[in-house]
Amino acid sequence: LFPGVRQAQWLTKTKLVEGLPPAVQGIVDNPAHGLQELEERAKHAVSHARLWDTAEVAPRREKYCPVLFENLIHICRLMSGKYPSLSKRMLARNCRIAATWERESILLQIRGLSGILMNSMTPIPPVASKEEILATKEHVLETFYPIAPTIDLQEVNVYKELNDTGQCFADGYPYSHPHTLFFLESANVRTDRFRPEQLRAKMLMFAFGNALAKAKALHGNDPKVLEQPVVVQSVGTDGQLFQFMVFQLNTTDLVSNDGVKNLVWIDSDQNLYEKAQCVPEVKKRVVTKPAGISGFQPDTFKKFLALYLHGTV
Amino acid sequence: MAALGVWRLLQPGRRWFSETVPVAPSPPSSPLYPPVVASVTAKSKAAKSRRLQRFKQRVHAAATVEEKLRLYGKLQRPKYTVYPQTFALNADRWYRSFTKTVLVPGMPPRAAAAKPPVAAAGTTPEGGKAPEAGAEAPGAVEVPQAAKTPGPAAGAAPYLDMGELRSLACDALLQESFYQNKKRPFLYRDQDHTPGPFLTQLVSTLAAFLSGRNPLLAASSLDLNPEVNYYWHHGEEVVVHGHRKGRVDPVRFQIDDNPHLQIRVPKQLPEVVPLESDLGDVPVIDHKPSKLPLFKKQYENKVFIGSKVADPCCYGHTQFHLLPDKLKRERFMRERLEDQIEVVYRSNGIASLFAWTAAQAMYQGFWSEADVTRPFVSQAVVTDGKYFAFFCYQLNTLALTAETIKNNPRKNICWGTDSKPLYDVVEDGNVKGFNDEVLLHLVRFLLNRPKEL
Repeated sequence: LFPGVRQAQWLTKTKLVEGLPPAVQGIVDNPAHGLQELEERAKHAVSHARLWDTAEVAPRREKYCPVLFENLIHICRLMSGKYPSLSKRMLARNCRIAATWERESILLQIRGLSGILMNSMTPIPPVASKEEILATKEHVLETFYPIAPTIDLQEVNVYKELNDTGQCFADGYPYSHPHTLFFLESANVRTDRFRPEQLRAKMLMFAFGNALAKAKALHGNDPKVLEQPVVVQSVGTDGQLFQFMVFQLNTTDLVSNDGVKNLVWIDSDQNLYEKAQCVPEVKKRVVTKPAGISGFQPDTFKKFLALYLHGTV
Repeated sequence: MAALGVWRLLQPGRRWFSETVPVAPSPPSSPLYPPVVASVTAKSKAAKSRRLQRFKQRVHAAATVEEKLRLYGKLQRPKYTVYPQTFALNADRWYRSFTKTVLVPGMPPRAAAAKPPVAAAGTTPEGGKAPEAGAEAPGAVEVPQAAKTPGPAAGAAPYLDMGELRSLACDALLQESFYQNKKRPFLYRDQDHTPGPFLTQLVSTLAAFLSGRNPLLAASSLDLNPEVNYYWHHGEEVVVHGHRKGRVDPVRFQIDDNPHLQIRVPKQLPEVVPLESDLGDVPVIDHKPSKLPLFKKQYENKVFIGSKVADPCCYGHTQFHLLPDKLKRERFMRERLEDQIEVVYRSNGIASLFAWTAAQAMYQGFWSEADVTRPFVSQAVVTDGKYFAFFCYQLNTLALTAETIKNNPRKNICWGTDSKPLYDVVEDGNVKGFNDEVLLHLVRFLLNRPKEL
């Protein structure tokens, strides 16, 4: 619905911070990681996905969105030649997420396919300092009086309260910490795709669900403030626009409206490139737009890579 | 009047004085008459050959590779569709005759000589691998003794940590088959459920792990489920029915392949043996291809390696093929066709690799009238999830049409192994009977690179 992220914030008791957290921004700005040389490769990855991948003239979004994602992940994974601990990551596709929590006497539950999940053996260290966490106590969650916060949510009779990281993984799974969730909006028709605002809300809800399930698995089902906050990242894209999000779960005490809140950093609507021209546009026998990728923004790719490297660097 | 008569006698053309040296006519600056050649539009053999010449001239003179490919596949006629993954009996013999390929069992000699030294328990580890080798020592005790190679004398190449690689492979396998809870597999879609994702995970993590060692991998491009197509002519036949009945036509073939995974690189792999080597015989089959069974269809003549000509990664490194449910081993055992199991792997390897290498050669501008000047080498791994077979192909010639094959001594070569299991069974979160040799083979394939790098 219209204030997608605001509603999600109320439901998950979260405070929003614009932009990426300083830890991730530090990785982006750090020249030691050699992010400049990867620009060329990122440009090739985009060209391959948008222009060269198919024997037809132009690939469709269902094809190029996953291909672009795979190419970017391939470039990120190749960094494990430089940072060997990056090989301790595993991608899992089509995992189902299920998490339940109570919010001011309303029982909420999130279930569904949560896109592509990347797990790692080691958890991401908390991004916000203790002072920032305590400062969220003063923050007041905005309400949408007179609209009930549960508007547009499906009311369902729940017989079993499930709480698992998707119940995706059996016990003893070595890569037990959810690291990043990837959402690809690849439907061909525009109305089937989520709009950016809704996509951000979906990312927030699923990141929260994963973090909550992990926290309950680690610390038990009692609602309390966590000493070791759980951090889960999330990236959503439709093939051109990227939304980056870092979510930190500080508390599982979600019944009341005050106390420590959870934190989320959102960097929204980052364009990776302006336009991908498959066939040169010719007006009156003069080439106005040559074929190729125009308006490539390397910063978006750097943020993608920084989110990938976060936690091991 | 007498003067007039003499004048007329002395007109040019009458030379009856013997002293006159006939003046050689000065060479004309341009021929007086156009060259006498066969007609273009007549219904005669000379006219047909003239039309062919003009077509070849057009393709030779094409400005860009895309234009060349467009002209090469412009004329559409019914052609045989060759399927790399086929249940046809003894398909690999037929495919070898279509593509003029020699099958050499085992692996090419240079792969055996360049084996990277492997850290075995007990040998003194070198350099940075020391802490990992030490930590893995309790786990590495089961490393088979056959993997011990003559130690540091093999050169400065650092040791490959088998324990690390094995744990990566086992983790991928366990995740897909055991840890991740998935729904039951769809009917006859078992391969998409477990072996498919396992292969993707394994190759991507191994490629990323080995990219530090192989700079070619660091610049590579990974395709998931790409398309590879190739169109060629081989041999001649007489048209059987229709308005073109009785004419002699080349036999046309088209391969449309979908490997599970493909690695493309910007630099070519080095040649295995020189261009003109002869390592065996190509089988000659006297029957029509439709006896295989192979069926004709007419559609677009595509030549495609997985991405368009503009892509910098235009050479192929390794392909990974997953055999579908229709061709699983149990089915062959049930029908008492055990010897055909290997045929399935071989025919897949030969057909897919021929299509890929030939399409790569066409992307560089070579075609059947302009034969390759350097050999094109690619590798492939064919698997059904548990059993792996490795193939290496060297394309030496593209000239397979009826006229160009007459004086062409070159043959394409394919090295291939039999299928071996990677593991025995997965039980309770443990992989039993893991075979290190197969993993080592896979790693060697991934580490293959040109000598300069």
